[in-house]
Amino acid sequence: MLIEIIKDALLAAMAAIGFGSISRVPVRSYIWCGLIAAIGHSVRFLLMDPDVLGMHIVGATGVASFLIGTMAVFISPLAKTPAEAYLFPALLPMIPGMYAYRSFAGLAMCLFGDTQEKFDIYFYRFAENGFICLAILFAMVICAIIPIFAFKSTAFTATR
Amino acid sequence: MAETDKCCNSREAKSTTMEERYTSKEAKSTTMEERYTSKEVCLFLSEYAVALLGCAATCIRLDRNVNRIATTFGKRVELFIMPRHIHMTVRNVDGDDTFTFISTVKPAPISFSLNTKLSQLSWHIADDSLSLDTARHRFETIMHSDKETPWVTLTLASFANASFCGIFGGDLVAMLIVLVATAIGFRLKQMMGGCHTDGRVIFLICAFISSVIGSAGFILSPEGTPSIAVGTSVLYLVPGIPFLNSFSDLLYRHYICAISRFTDAIILTACLSLGLCLGMRLMGVGMF
Repeated sequence: MLIEIIKDALLAAMAAIGFGSISRVPVRSYIWCGLIAAIGHSVRFLLMDPDVLGMHIVGATGVASFLIGTMAVFISPLAKTPAEAYLFPALLPMIPGMYAYRSFAGLAMCLFGDTQEKFDIYFYRFAENGFICLAILFAMVICAIIPIFAFKSTAFTATR
Repeated sequence: MAETDKCCNSREAKSTTMEERYTSKEAKSTTMEERYTSKEVCLFLSEYAVALLGCAATCIRLDRNVNRIATTFGKRVELFIMPRHIHMTVRNVDGDDTFTFISTVKPAPISFSLNTKLSQLSWHIADDSLSLDTARHRFETIMHSDKETPWVTLTLASFANASFCGIFGGDLVAMLIVLVATAIGFRLKQMMGGCHTDGRVIFLICAFISSVIGSAGFILSPEGTPSIAVGTSVLYLVPGIPFLNSFSDLLYRHYICAISRFTDAIILTACLSLGLCLGMRLMGVGMF
């Protein structure tokens, strides 16, 4: 279990740093992006684990995102960088990319469904994945941005 | 007693200094207001706002930074942020000098580094009462200093996507395949971006190429996790920042910008899904 958590944290940290570099995050922020992503992703991993809380992916993502948002807001003045610079790359490993393109793939496959039965299956895949994707996105972004709005004075004076 | 007097004197002195400083700040603000016309301030602020929105700043940050600078120059500003244009009106406190300007947002790569530097500039202008010429000079320096390191980004992005594959349960072979698929796809994305190819075309072609390479797992290691490899080989293209920015704008009630950014992200996701489907169909690999 512990090894699984450490593995998940390390992979999430590496993913956040890589995606941070795509979004041209300041180099000094790489370490913070990795750290915040590792903690956030591990928390989500634990919350979703059936032996711990067994939460649904939407709820677990919301809690982890709130934690990531809070950490980003309070770390940003220390590194004199806007909170978004840590927040967004740290959230990216939780972006429901698989659900998003499965949803579009389902929609595209509807075109090839020559019978009503096949069409129904693919349309179901489109709707199921699309709804989960949207729910995760809403939970993730709203929960991550709440700390920025709650601690506006800290979040928007970080670069001072 | 003497010590108390000393303390009082020092307090008085401090208070006088504070007063002087306050008066000097007020004087500076008045001078600033008199020194610059609304047109001069508006033209600088338009350039600044367009650069900030272009590097994917949220509307709330744009609004705050622009207002901070305008207040320092003794002006008031009204902003209308649209997806591809910024409509700005700058006026002085009395309202007898007003200037309106509409500027176009140029497509630029997402850059939190530029976002950070431009936010820092707004604070430097406010705290150090920089002149408009100095502010403009520093702005130009910042705009020219934001350079990408393509090979570092390519390497980190490839490892990031391979890590993604690991997060989703992919084995070592799958992670290696994703690493190669991402490296080739991302390099192609950089090259096509350099040729100013349309973003949607870039997403479609890169997703197609990465998914074709990602399907190699079905030949090299069919008993492993090849479906995870092909699924995650295109995740580096998912437009995460536009998705996140759109929700941030939604919360700040910038609905037009929010919907526009969300639509942009949806179209890019549709392009990458289409590229992925075509790649998988070519390789005869099932999606579900």
